[in-house]
Amino acid sequence: MLVVLGQELRDLWLGGRGLVLTFAFSLLLSVIAYLVATNHALNFLEHRETVNLLLQVAIAVGSLLALLTAADTVSGERERGTLESLLLTPVSRLALAAGKLLGSLSLWAVALVVTVPYLWFLGRGVGLVGDALVTGVVVGTLLAVFLASLGFLISVFARSNRVSLSLSLLLLLTLFVPTQLPSAAQQGWAGDLLLRLNPITAGEHYVGKVVTSAHPWSEDLSWLVSPFVCAGVFAALALLAGARFVRLGGGAAA
Amino acid sequence: MRRVALVALLLLAAAAPAHAVAGVAVTNDRTEITTKIGRHVIFHSRIANRGNAPVSGLVAHLNVVDLTGRTYVDPEDWSSHRTRYLAPIPAGGSVSLAWPMNAVNAGTIGLYVAVLPRTGPPVRPATSPTVRLRVLDRKTLNSGGILPLALGIPAALGLLTLGVRRSRQGG
Repeated sequence: MLVVLGQELRDLWLGGRGLVLTFAFSLLLSVIAYLVATNHALNFLEHRETVNLLLQVAIAVGSLLALLTAADTVSGERERGTLESLLLTPVSRLALAAGKLLGSLSLWAVALVVTVPYLWFLGRGVGLVGDALVTGVVVGTLLAVFLASLGFLISVFARSNRVSLSLSLLLLLTLFVPTQLPSAAQQGWAGDLLLRLNPITAGEHYVGKVVTSAHPWSEDLSWLVSPFVCAGVFAALALLAGARFVRLGGGAAA
Repeated sequence: MRRVALVALLLLAAAAPAHAVAGVAVTNDRTEITTKIGRHVIFHSRIANRGNAPVSGLVAHLNVVDLTGRTYVDPEDWSSHRTRYLAPIPAGGSVSLAWPMNAVNAGTIGLYVAVLPRTGPPVRPATSPTVRLRVLDRKTLNSGGILPLALGIPAALGLLTLGVRRSRQGG
Protein backbone atom coordinates (compact mmCIF):
# COMPACT_ATOMS: atom_id res chain seq x y z
CA MET A 1 0.00 0.00 0.00
CA LEU A 2 2.87 2.37 0.82
CA VAL A 3 4.31 1.83 -2.65
CA VAL A 4 1.01 2.83 -4.26
CA LEU A 5 0.61 5.74 -1.86
CA GLY A 6 4.12 6.98 -2.65
CA GLN A 7 3.41 6.79 -6.37
CA GLU A 8 0.08 8.60 -5.94
CA LEU A 9 1.70 11.36 -3.89
CA ARG A 10 4.46 11.81 -6.48
CA ASP A 11 1.91 11.98 -9.31
CA LEU A 12 -0.30 14.42 -7.45
CA TRP A 13 2.30 16.76 -5.93
CA LEU A 14 5.32 16.53 -8.20
CA GLY A 15 3.06 16.35 -11.25
CA GLY A 16 1.85 19.78 -10.19
CA ARG A 17 -1.91 19.15 -10.06
CA GLY A 18 -2.05 19.13 -6.27
CA LEU A 19 0.00 22.31 -6.02
CA VAL A 20 -2.17 24.16 -8.53
CA LEU A 21 -5.35 23.16 -6.68
CA THR A 22 -3.80 24.19 -3.35
CA PHE A 23 -2.73 27.51 -4.86
CA ALA A 24 -6.32 28.16 -6.00
CA PHE A 25 -7.56 27.12 -2.56
CA SER A 26 -5.21 29.58 -0.84
CA LEU A 27 -6.38 32.37 -3.18
CA LEU A 28 -9.98 31.71 -2.17
CA LEU A 29 -9.11 31.75 1.55
CA SER A 30 -7.11 34.97 1.05
CA VAL A 31 -10.06 36.73 -0.57
CA ILE A 32 -12.44 35.63 2.19
CA ALA A 33 -10.01 36.51 4.99
CA TYR A 34 -9.32 39.93 3.45
CA LEU A 35 -13.03 40.66 3.00
CA VAL A 36 -14.06 39.68 6.52
CA ALA A 37 -11.16 41.63 7.97
CA THR A 38 -11.60 44.86 6.04
CA ASN A 39 -15.03 45.09 4.40
CA HIS A 40 -17.44 47.14 6.51
CA ALA A 41 -20.52 45.38 5.18
CA LEU A 42 -19.18 42.04 6.40
CA ASN A 43 -17.33 43.37 9.39
CA PHE A 44 -20.37 43.40 11.65
CA LEU A 45 -19.76 39.72 12.04
CA GLU A 46 -18.35 38.77 15.37
CA HIS A 47 -14.85 37.42 15.64
CA ARG A 48 -16.28 33.95 16.18
CA GLU A 49 -18.50 34.21 13.13
CA THR A 50 -15.62 35.23 10.89
CA VAL A 51 -13.60 32.22 12.07
CA ASN A 52 -16.64 30.00 11.52
CA LEU A 53 -17.16 31.36 7.99
CA LEU A 54 -13.55 30.75 7.02
CA LEU A 55 -13.45 27.30 8.59
CA GLN A 56 -16.68 26.19 6.90
CA VAL A 57 -15.41 27.33 3.50
CA ALA A 58 -12.09 25.57 4.12
CA ILE A 59 -13.83 22.32 5.06
CA ALA A 60 -16.24 22.49 2.12
CA VAL A 61 -13.65 23.34 -0.53
CA GLY A 62 -10.92 21.13 0.98
CA SER A 63 -13.19 18.09 0.93
CA LEU A 64 -14.33 19.04 -2.59
CA LEU A 65 -10.70 18.84 -3.71
CA ALA A 66 -10.41 15.38 -2.15
CA LEU A 67 -13.59 14.32 -3.96
CA LEU A 68 -12.40 15.59 -7.34
CA THR A 69 -9.02 13.90 -6.99
CA ALA A 70 -10.60 10.61 -5.92
CA ALA A 71 -13.10 10.77 -8.79
CA ASP A 72 -10.16 10.81 -11.18
CA THR A 73 -8.20 7.93 -9.66
CA VAL A 74 -9.47 4.84 -11.49
CA SER A 75 -11.41 6.31 -14.42
CA GLY A 76 -8.58 8.77 -15.09
CA GLU A 77 -5.93 6.04 -15.13
CA ARG A 78 -8.20 4.00 -17.38
CA GLU A 79 -8.52 6.85 -19.89
CA ARG A 80 -4.83 7.71 -19.80
CA GLY A 81 -4.03 4.04 -20.49
CA THR A 82 -1.99 3.60 -17.31
CA LEU A 83 -4.41 1.37 -15.41
CA GLU A 84 -3.22 -1.82 -17.10
CA SER A 85 0.38 -1.42 -15.94
CA LEU A 86 -0.90 -0.54 -12.48
CA LEU A 87 -3.01 -3.70 -12.31
CA LEU A 88 -0.01 -5.78 -13.35
CA THR A 89 2.12 -4.59 -10.43
CA PRO A 90 2.51 -7.16 -7.63
CA VAL A 91 0.25 -5.27 -5.25
CA SER A 92 -3.12 -6.45 -3.97
CA ARG A 93 -6.19 -4.62 -5.25
CA LEU A 94 -7.09 -3.69 -1.69
CA ALA A 95 -3.69 -2.04 -1.18
CA LEU A 96 -4.13 -0.32 -4.53
CA ALA A 97 -7.50 1.09 -3.48
CA ALA A 98 -6.24 2.14 -0.04
CA GLY A 99 -3.17 3.84 -1.53
CA LYS A 100 -5.23 5.77 -4.04
CA LEU A 101 -7.77 6.80 -1.42
CA LEU A 102 -5.05 8.02 0.93
CA GLY A 103 -3.37 9.86 -1.93
CA SER A 104 -6.61 11.75 -2.60
CA LEU A 105 -6.94 12.58 1.08
CA SER A 106 -3.47 14.16 1.06
CA LEU A 107 -5.09 17.15 -0.69
CA TRP A 108 -7.37 17.67 2.29
CA ALA A 109 -4.40 17.37 4.67
CA VAL A 110 -2.46 20.05 2.77
CA ALA A 111 -5.57 22.26 2.52
CA LEU A 112 -5.88 22.04 6.29
CA VAL A 113 -2.24 23.08 6.76
CA VAL A 114 -2.81 26.06 4.42
CA THR A 115 -5.90 27.04 6.46
CA VAL A 116 -3.98 27.25 9.76
CA PRO A 117 -2.40 30.73 9.29
CA TYR A 118 -5.75 32.23 8.27
CA LEU A 119 -7.46 30.67 11.29
CA TRP A 120 -4.68 31.93 13.52
CA PHE A 121 -5.02 35.47 12.16
CA LEU A 122 -8.80 35.63 12.51
CA GLY A 123 -9.13 33.71 15.77
CA ARG A 124 -6.13 34.90 17.79
CA GLY A 125 -7.98 37.76 19.52
CA VAL A 126 -10.61 35.55 21.08
CA GLY A 127 -8.57 32.46 21.92
CA LEU A 128 -10.42 30.47 19.32
CA VAL A 129 -7.57 29.07 17.27
CA GLY A 130 -7.28 25.75 19.12
CA ASP A 131 -11.00 25.01 19.17
CA ALA A 132 -11.42 25.94 15.51
CA LEU A 133 -8.43 23.88 14.49
CA VAL A 134 -9.48 20.72 16.33
CA THR A 135 -13.08 21.05 15.09
CA GLY A 136 -11.80 21.56 11.56
CA VAL A 137 -9.54 18.51 11.77
CA VAL A 138 -12.30 16.24 13.12
CA VAL A 139 -15.22 17.38 10.95
CA GLY A 140 -13.16 18.11 7.85
CA THR A 141 -11.43 14.73 7.96
CA LEU A 142 -14.73 12.87 8.38
CA LEU A 143 -16.25 14.75 5.43
CA ALA A 144 -13.12 14.39 3.31
CA VAL A 145 -13.01 10.61 3.92
CA PHE A 146 -16.71 10.37 3.04
CA LEU A 147 -16.43 12.45 -0.14
CA ALA A 148 -13.14 10.92 -1.31
CA SER A 149 -14.61 7.43 -0.84
CA LEU A 150 -17.72 8.48 -2.76
CA GLY A 151 -15.58 9.86 -5.58
CA PHE A 152 -13.47 6.69 -5.65
CA LEU A 153 -16.58 4.49 -5.78
CA ILE A 154 -17.95 6.47 -8.72
CA SER A 155 -14.57 6.36 -10.44
CA VAL A 156 -14.44 2.55 -10.18
CA PHE A 157 -17.79 2.10 -11.88
CA ALA A 158 -17.90 5.09 -14.26
CA ARG A 159 -17.63 4.44 -17.99
CA SER A 160 -15.49 7.53 -18.53
CA ASN A 161 -13.59 10.09 -16.51
CA ARG A 162 -16.00 12.81 -17.59
CA VAL A 163 -18.95 10.83 -16.22
CA SER A 164 -17.10 10.20 -12.98
CA LEU A 165 -16.22 13.87 -12.42
CA SER A 166 -19.61 15.25 -13.41
CA LEU A 167 -21.54 12.70 -11.36
CA SER A 168 -19.34 13.38 -8.34
CA LEU A 169 -19.89 17.12 -8.66
CA LEU A 170 -23.63 16.67 -9.11
CA LEU A 171 -23.85 14.53 -5.97
CA LEU A 172 -21.79 17.06 -4.04
CA LEU A 173 -24.05 19.92 -5.12
CA THR A 174 -27.08 17.86 -4.13
CA LEU A 175 -25.59 17.35 -0.68
CA PHE A 176 -25.04 21.10 -0.37
CA VAL A 177 -28.62 22.00 -1.40
CA PRO A 178 -30.06 21.86 2.16
CA THR A 179 -27.63 24.61 3.24
CA GLN A 180 -29.46 26.97 0.85
CA LEU A 181 -32.95 26.21 2.16
CA PRO A 182 -34.68 29.16 3.85
CA SER A 183 -34.42 29.03 7.62
CA ALA A 184 -38.15 28.33 7.97
CA ALA A 185 -37.74 25.14 5.93
CA GLN A 186 -34.93 23.99 8.22
CA GLN A 187 -37.14 24.12 11.28
CA GLY A 188 -39.47 21.41 12.55
CA TRP A 189 -38.73 17.71 12.83
CA ALA A 190 -38.51 17.11 9.06
CA GLY A 191 -36.02 19.93 8.52
CA ASP A 192 -34.00 18.86 11.55
CA LEU A 193 -33.93 15.26 10.33
CA LEU A 194 -32.81 16.30 6.86
CA LEU A 195 -29.96 18.39 8.28
CA ARG A 196 -28.89 15.58 10.62
CA LEU A 197 -28.98 12.84 7.96
CA ASN A 198 -26.95 14.84 5.45
CA PRO A 199 -23.30 14.52 6.57
CA ILE A 200 -22.34 17.88 5.03
CA THR A 201 -25.03 19.93 6.78
CA ALA A 202 -24.64 17.95 10.01
CA GLY A 203 -20.87 18.50 10.07
CA GLU A 204 -21.12 22.21 9.29
CA HIS A 205 -23.84 22.60 11.93
CA TYR A 206 -21.53 21.06 14.53
CA VAL A 207 -18.68 23.38 13.53
CA GLY A 208 -21.01 26.39 13.83
CA LYS A 209 -22.19 25.37 17.29
CA VAL A 210 -18.67 24.86 18.67
CA VAL A 211 -17.01 27.84 16.97
CA THR A 212 -19.76 30.49 16.86
CA SER A 213 -22.00 29.55 19.78
CA ALA A 214 -19.08 28.40 21.98
CA HIS A 215 -20.87 25.17 22.87
CA PRO A 216 -18.81 22.53 24.68
CA TRP A 217 -17.56 19.65 22.52
CA SER A 218 -19.98 17.15 23.97
CA GLU A 219 -23.18 19.19 23.67
CA ASP A 220 -23.83 18.66 19.95
CA LEU A 221 -21.99 15.36 19.43
CA SER A 222 -25.16 13.76 18.06
CA TRP A 223 -24.69 15.93 14.95
CA LEU A 224 -21.49 14.01 14.18
CA VAL A 225 -23.25 10.65 13.90
CA SER A 226 -24.06 11.08 10.22
CA PRO A 227 -20.55 12.27 9.14
CA PHE A 228 -18.97 9.48 11.21
CA VAL A 229 -21.24 6.73 9.85
CA CYS A 230 -20.99 7.96 6.25
CA ALA A 231 -17.18 8.18 6.44
CA GLY A 232 -16.93 4.63 7.81
CA VAL A 233 -19.50 3.03 5.51
CA PHE A 234 -18.30 4.72 2.32
CA ALA A 235 -14.64 4.08 3.08
CA ALA A 236 -15.43 0.38 3.56
CA LEU A 237 -17.47 0.32 0.34
CA ALA A 238 -14.70 2.08 -1.58
CA LEU A 239 -12.08 -0.42 -0.38
CA LEU A 240 -14.40 -3.31 -1.17
CA ALA A 241 -15.16 -1.95 -4.64
CA GLY A 242 -11.47 -1.27 -5.23
CA ALA A 243 -10.56 -4.81 -4.21
CA ARG A 244 -13.23 -6.55 -6.27
CA PHE A 245 -14.46 -4.36 -9.11
CA VAL A 246 -11.53 -2.44 -10.57
CA ARG A 247 -11.41 -3.51 -14.23
CA LEU A 248 -9.70 -2.31 -17.36
CA GLY A 249 -13.06 -1.66 -18.98
CA GLY A 250 -15.30 0.87 -17.20
CA GLY A 251 -19.00 0.67 -16.47
CA ALA A 252 -20.89 -1.69 -14.22
CA ALA A 253 -18.43 -4.54 -14.50
CA ALA A 254 -19.64 -7.87 -13.22
CA MET B 1 -74.79 71.94 2.38
CA ARG B 2 -75.65 69.89 5.44
CA ARG B 3 -76.48 66.97 3.16
CA VAL B 4 -73.05 67.20 1.49
CA ALA B 5 -71.37 67.32 4.87
CA LEU B 6 -73.33 64.28 6.01
CA VAL B 7 -72.35 62.31 2.88
CA ALA B 8 -68.71 63.34 3.33
CA LEU B 9 -68.82 62.23 6.97
CA LEU B 10 -70.31 58.87 6.00
CA LEU B 11 -67.66 58.37 3.31
CA LEU B 12 -64.90 59.22 5.77
CA ALA B 13 -66.36 56.85 8.32
CA ALA B 14 -66.45 54.07 5.75
CA ALA B 15 -62.89 54.72 4.59
CA ALA B 16 -61.26 55.09 8.00
CA PRO B 17 -60.57 51.98 10.06
CA ALA B 18 -62.99 51.40 12.87
CA HIS B 19 -61.93 50.79 16.48
CA ALA B 20 -58.73 49.04 17.45
CA VAL B 21 -58.89 45.30 18.07
CA ALA B 22 -61.51 45.21 20.83
CA GLY B 23 -60.16 44.66 24.31
CA VAL B 24 -56.65 43.67 23.22
CA ALA B 25 -53.64 45.37 24.82
CA VAL B 26 -50.00 44.83 23.87
CA THR B 27 -47.15 45.52 26.27
CA ASN B 28 -43.40 44.85 26.21
CA ASP B 29 -41.14 43.69 29.01
CA ARG B 30 -38.79 46.66 28.49
CA THR B 31 -38.61 50.05 26.89
CA GLU B 32 -34.96 50.23 25.97
CA ILE B 33 -32.21 47.78 25.01
CA THR B 34 -28.56 48.65 24.55
CA THR B 35 -26.28 46.22 22.80
CA LYS B 36 -23.31 46.03 20.45
CA ILE B 37 -23.28 45.35 16.76
CA GLY B 38 -23.27 41.64 15.94
CA ARG B 39 -24.92 40.62 19.23
CA HIS B 40 -28.26 38.86 19.64
CA VAL B 41 -30.91 40.26 21.98
CA ILE B 42 -34.39 39.15 22.91
CA PHE B 43 -37.44 40.94 24.27
CA HIS B 44 -40.92 39.73 25.18
CA SER B 45 -44.38 41.07 24.42
CA ARG B 46 -47.58 40.24 26.26
CA ILE B 47 -50.85 40.30 24.36
CA ALA B 48 -53.71 40.52 26.87
CA ASN B 49 -57.41 40.11 26.23
CA ARG B 50 -59.07 42.60 28.57
CA GLY B 51 -62.50 42.05 27.08
CA ASN B 52 -65.33 39.87 28.34
CA ALA B 53 -65.24 37.37 25.49
CA PRO B 54 -62.44 35.19 24.10
CA VAL B 55 -60.65 36.50 21.01
CA SER B 56 -59.27 34.35 18.22
CA GLY B 57 -57.73 34.70 14.80
CA LEU B 58 -55.18 37.33 15.81
CA VAL B 59 -51.78 37.85 14.24
CA ALA B 60 -48.90 39.71 15.88
CA HIS B 61 -46.26 41.40 13.74
CA LEU B 62 -42.96 42.91 14.83
CA ASN B 63 -42.05 46.17 13.11
CA VAL B 64 -38.47 47.41 12.86
CA VAL B 65 -37.91 51.12 12.13
CA ASP B 66 -34.74 53.20 11.93
CA LEU B 67 -35.15 56.20 14.24
CA THR B 68 -31.99 58.04 13.21
CA GLY B 69 -32.68 58.33 9.49
CA ARG B 70 -29.11 57.20 8.77
CA THR B 71 -29.19 53.45 9.32
CA TYR B 72 -30.24 51.08 6.58
CA VAL B 73 -32.79 48.63 7.94
CA ASP B 74 -33.91 45.45 6.27
CA PRO B 75 -36.31 43.96 8.85
CA GLU B 76 -35.59 40.40 7.68
CA ASP B 77 -31.96 40.83 8.75
CA TRP B 78 -32.95 42.01 12.21
CA SER B 79 -35.44 39.27 12.91
CA SER B 80 -36.20 36.31 10.68
CA HIS B 81 -39.44 35.37 12.45
CA ARG B 82 -41.49 38.53 12.76
CA THR B 83 -45.05 37.28 12.19
CA ARG B 84 -46.81 35.07 14.75
CA TYR B 85 -50.28 33.62 14.40
CA LEU B 86 -51.82 33.53 17.85
CA ALA B 87 -53.90 30.84 19.48
CA PRO B 88 -57.29 31.95 20.87
CA ILE B 89 -56.96 34.05 24.04
CA PRO B 90 -59.69 33.55 26.68
CA ALA B 91 -61.34 36.53 28.36
CA GLY B 92 -58.90 37.98 30.86
CA GLY B 93 -56.08 35.79 29.54
CA SER B 94 -52.87 36.66 27.75
CA VAL B 95 -50.07 35.18 25.68
CA SER B 96 -46.37 36.00 25.77
CA LEU B 97 -44.20 36.20 22.68
CA ALA B 98 -40.40 36.21 22.50
CA TRP B 99 -38.76 38.27 19.76
CA PRO B 100 -35.12 37.34 19.09
CA MET B 101 -33.24 40.13 17.32
CA ASN B 102 -29.89 40.44 15.58
CA ALA B 103 -28.10 43.76 16.00
CA VAL B 104 -27.09 44.23 12.38
CA ASN B 105 -26.07 47.89 12.13
CA ALA B 106 -25.10 50.59 14.59
CA GLY B 107 -27.84 53.13 15.34
CA THR B 108 -31.13 53.52 17.21
CA ILE B 109 -33.90 51.26 16.07
CA GLY B 110 -37.56 51.45 17.06
CA LEU B 111 -39.36 48.16 17.63
CA TYR B 112 -43.08 47.76 18.14
CA VAL B 113 -45.60 44.97 17.88
CA ALA B 114 -48.91 45.34 16.06
CA VAL B 115 -51.76 42.91 16.67
CA LEU B 116 -54.59 42.67 14.15
CA PRO B 117 -57.34 40.21 13.27
CA ARG B 118 -56.80 37.88 10.33
CA THR B 119 -60.38 38.22 9.08
CA GLY B 120 -63.38 40.56 9.38
CA PRO B 121 -63.73 44.26 8.67
CA PRO B 122 -60.56 46.39 8.78
CA VAL B 123 -59.79 47.73 12.23
CA ARG B 124 -56.94 49.75 13.67
CA PRO B 125 -54.28 47.32 14.97
CA ALA B 126 -53.50 47.25 18.66
CA THR B 127 -49.89 48.33 19.03
CA SER B 128 -47.33 48.10 21.78
CA PRO B 129 -45.21 50.99 23.08
CA THR B 130 -41.93 51.39 21.22
CA VAL B 131 -38.81 49.59 22.39
CA ARG B 132 -35.69 51.62 21.60
CA LEU B 133 -32.87 49.36 20.53
CA ARG B 134 -29.54 51.18 20.72
CA VAL B 135 -26.82 49.36 18.82
CA LEU B 136 -23.28 50.51 19.55
CA ASP B 137 -20.56 50.19 16.97
CA ARG B 138 -17.58 48.08 17.85
CA LYS B 139 -14.32 47.03 16.37
CA THR B 140 -14.75 43.41 15.49
CA LEU B 141 -11.41 42.59 13.98
CA ASN B 142 -8.01 44.12 13.78
CA SER B 143 -7.54 44.05 10.03
CA GLY B 144 -3.91 45.16 10.24
CA GLY B 145 -1.60 42.51 8.92
CA ILE B 146 -4.14 40.70 6.79
CA LEU B 147 -2.67 41.94 3.52
CA PRO B 148 0.78 40.35 3.94
CA LEU B 149 -0.89 37.09 4.93
CA ALA B 150 -3.49 37.22 2.13
CA LEU B 151 -0.82 37.89 -0.47
CA GLY B 152 2.03 35.93 1.07
CA ILE B 153 0.52 32.45 1.24
CA PRO B 154 -0.74 32.31 -2.38
CA ALA B 155 2.52 33.88 -3.55
CA ALA B 156 4.58 31.25 -1.72
CA LEU B 157 2.42 28.45 -3.09
CA GLY B 158 2.56 29.94 -6.59
CA LEU B 159 6.36 30.10 -6.46
CA LEU B 160 6.52 26.54 -5.16
CA THR B 161 4.29 25.37 -8.04
CA LEU B 162 6.46 27.16 -10.60
CA GLY B 163 9.62 25.79 -9.02
CA VAL B 164 8.35 22.21 -9.14
CA ARG B 165 7.27 22.61 -12.77
CA ARG B 166 10.60 24.05 -13.78
CA SER B 167 12.57 21.36 -12.01
CA ARG B 168 10.49 18.70 -13.75
CA GLN B 169 10.97 20.35 -17.12
CA GLY B 170 14.70 20.68 -16.44
CA GLY B 171 14.93 17.04 -15.35
